[in-house]
Amino acid sequence: MFKRWILDFAYYLDTSKSYQRRKRFFYNILENDKNKYKKYVDLFMILLIFISVGVLIREVKHHVNDELMFFSNYIISFIFFIEYMLRLWVSSSISEIIVARAEHDTFLLRDVNLAKAFKEVIKVKLQYILSAKAIIDLLAIMPFFHELRLLRIFILFRVFKLLRYAKSVQTLSSVLATKKFEFLTLSIFASVVIFVSSVLIYVMEGNNPDSPVNTLFEAVYWSIVTIATVGYGDIVPVTQEGRFVAIVVIMAGIAVLAFTTSLFVSAFTEKLDEIKEIKTIEGISKLKNFYLICGYENVSREVSRKLSSHANEIIIIDEDPLRVEKAKKDGYRALNYNPGNVESYDKLNINFDKQIKAVLCLRESDIENVYAALTIRSFNKNIFIMSLLMNDLNRKKLEFAGINTVVYPQELVGLITKELIGKPVAFEVIHELRSENSDVQIDELGITERIVENFPTVGALENSRFRVVLLGVYKTANGRFYFNPLDDTLLEVGDYLLVVGYQVFIKEFEKYLHTRAIND
Amino acid sequence: MTKTTALIFGHNKYSHEIVRNVKDKYSNIRLFSLDENNKTENLPELEYFDLSDKWTEIQKSVDMKNSMAFCVLEDTAENIFLTISLRSNFKDLTIIAISSNKESANKLLMAGANKVIPLTETTSDIITNMLEKPISHKVLHDILYEESNLKIAQVQIGEESEFKDEQLTSIDWTRYNGIVVLSVMHEDMKSEFIYSSKAKHHIIKPGDVLIVVGFEKDIQNFENKIRSRRYVNWSHWSW
Repeated sequence: MFKRWILDFAYYLDTSKSYQRRKRFFYNILENDKNKYKKYVDLFMILLIFISVGVLIREVKHHVNDELMFFSNYIISFIFFIEYMLRLWVSSSISEIIVARAEHDTFLLRDVNLAKAFKEVIKVKLQYILSAKAIIDLLAIMPFFHELRLLRIFILFRVFKLLRYAKSVQTLSSVLATKKFEFLTLSIFASVVIFVSSVLIYVMEGNNPDSPVNTLFEAVYWSIVTIATVGYGDIVPVTQEGRFVAIVVIMAGIAVLAFTTSLFVSAFTEKLDEIKEIKTIEGISKLKNFYLICGYENVSREVSRKLSSHANEIIIIDEDPLRVEKAKKDGYRALNYNPGNVESYDKLNINFDKQIKAVLCLRESDIENVYAALTIRSFNKNIFIMSLLMNDLNRKKLEFAGINTVVYPQELVGLITKELIGKPVAFEVIHELRSENSDVQIDELGITERIVENFPTVGALENSRFRVVLLGVYKTANGRFYFNPLDDTLLEVGDYLLVVGYQVFIKEFEKYLHTRAIND
Repeated sequence: MTKTTALIFGHNKYSHEIVRNVKDKYSNIRLFSLDENNKTENLPELEYFDLSDKWTEIQKSVDMKNSMAFCVLEDTAENIFLTISLRSNFKDLTIIAISSNKESANKLLMAGANKVIPLTETTSDIITNMLEKPISHKVLHDILYEESNLKIAQVQIGEESEFKDEQLTSIDWTRYNGIVVLSVMHEDMKSEFIYSSKAKHHIIKPGDVLIVVGFEKDIQNFENKIRSRRYVNWSHWSW
C-alpha cells in the first residue's frame, strides 16, 4: 500500500507540468548561465556574502549592532540554507529515478524494487552533497550556530561561495582541471622536496643552540619559504651542513616554481581558443538585430565589409578554421561552427526571431547553402534567408529549402551586359548610385509623424533647395512606388522618400526634415 | 553607333548568360572557346581560339571596329592575357571583361578593357542594397532591367533644342514633363550629377547628353519637345 502510494506520487510528480515548470524555474535561476535572471540572483548572493564578511571584519575591534548581527547570522544563513536546499532539489530528480526503476522492473515483469530506487537516489544526492561546491555551501551556513564561536570562522567559507558566482573563477578552475595529472605530479614532487628538506634541515640544525630551527614545524616553514623563493630571513641555517641543504632546496625551489609557471601557461594556452569562443558567444547573446553570415569566401567577405561599414552587427560562422581565422583577422566576430549543423545553433543560443535581421548563406557551393538553409529553417520558419546561387539548375532546390531570396551572380553578368551595351552611361549612373564609393547616392528617408505634421505634401519638402533630387515616394500602405510625384501628393507616416544627391546634402536635407519638425 | 558583332571569349556559364541577354541586340554573335574538347558539344557556333596573337582569321570575317568583345575566361591570368592581346591588335575594339575581384579588375583596365564587371563587388553590392536599401534596390533594379514602365534613357540635346544656351540649374528638371534628370554628360565625356558644382554653372549646348528617368511616353514627349534623340556612343568609354 505504502509502496503503491510512493509510486503514484512519483508518477504524479514526474508528469505534473506545474511541478516540472517550477523545478525548471529554480534550476534556471540557480544553475543555468544562459538564464537572464540568474545574474541577478548571483549578484544578490554576492551582496549577502560581502555583508557577512564586512560584519566579521567590523566585529574584530568594534561593536556591531544587534540587528546587523541578527541579519548576518540568521537571515543570511537562512537564505543560504534555502539556496542549499533548492540546489540539492534541482541537482537530480528523485521522482524520475523511482519512475525509471518502476518502468524497468515492470518491463521485466518483476515487482518494483523501491529499495534499489532509493539506493540510487541516495547515491546521486550524496554525490551532490559531497561535491566541493556543495560542501562550501554547507559550511557557509554554519555561522547560523552563532553561539559556537569557533563556527563563526566559517563565515569565511561564504567568501569561497563567491567562486560559485564568479564566472572567471569557474573558467580558471576548468582550465586548471585539464591539467589534473600534471598538477598531481607537481604536488607530489613539491611534497617530497619539502619533506626531505624539512627533515634534513631539522637533523642538521635541530641540535645547534645558535640555530633558529628548533622544531620540525619551523623546519617545514623554512623549507616552504625557501622553495617558494620568498626567503623571509627570519629562519636561516647557521651550520655548514644546513647551508648546503639550503643550496639544494633553493635549486629544487626554482624547478618547482618553473614547473608550476609552465603548467599554468600551457593550460591557458591550450584553452585560450575555447575561452575566447565562450566570450564571443556571450557577446553574441547580448546582440540585437545582427546578420548571420554562413561561410566566409570572396562574396561573403565583401558583403561583411559593406554591412559593417553601415554600422551593422554581423556574425560569421564557417566550418573551415582557416576562413574563420581570416574573418577574425578582418575584424569580425567569427566562430568555427558548421552552418549546416544543428549543434552550432544550440551552442550559439540565439533567438532567431528577436536577434537576427537576416541569414545570409554565402558559401560558393549550392550544396552547402541548401544544407545550411534547411538547418536554419528547422529552427525557425520566419527568418529571412538570402543565399548565393552558383548553378541555375539548383535554383528550385534552394527555393525548396526555404531560401527567400536567391542571388545568382552569373545572371547578374548577363543583365549587366545587356544594359551596358544598350545604355552605357545610364548604366554607369545607376551603378554609381548603388556603389558605396560614389559621392552621389540614392537613399531612403522614412516619413515620421512629426515630418508629416510639418511637411504634409511633397511640394512642401523643398528638396531642390538642398540639391537633392526626389525620385519618388514609396507608399508602405499599398506597397507602391510613385515616381516623380506631383506637389500636392500627400505624405503619410511610414512612407519613404527616395532621394538622389550628394551624401552630405542628403544628410542636410534629412536633418532639416527632422529639426524643422522639432523646432516648429 | 550600334555594334553589329559580339565576340564572346570563353565557354562557360557567364558566356551563356551573355548570349541569352544580348542575342536580340547583335546581328552576329561569335562564341569562342579555349578548349578544343568543347567543340564536341552540340553547339555548332562554338569556335576555337588560342592565346597566340593570330587574329587574322577572325579579322577576315569580322569588322572589328563595329564589334564588341566579351572576355569571360574563368582563369584571371588568361583573361588578362586575352584582353591585352585583343587591345594590342585592335585599338578600336570595345572590350568588356569580367573579373573576380578588384585587383584583377584594375589589371584588366590596365590591359585595355573598356569596361570591367567585378563579380564579387557587384554581387556584394546587390546583396547589401537588397538588405539595407530594399526600396531603392527594387526601384533601381526595375528601372535598369526594365521590369517596370519606368525607364532610364540617355537623351542628346539637339541643335534646335529650346534649352540651348540655358544654365543647367535654371531649369526645374524634376518637374519637367514627368521626367527626372539625374545627370548630364558634356564635352569632356564625363557624366556629372545634376546638382554637382561643376554642372551647376554649365550652359547647355547641342551635343550634351542628359540621363533621364521617366515613363516611356514622357521620355518620348521630352525628346520631341527638346528635339533630341536617344543616344549611345561607345567612344565615351576611354581606356
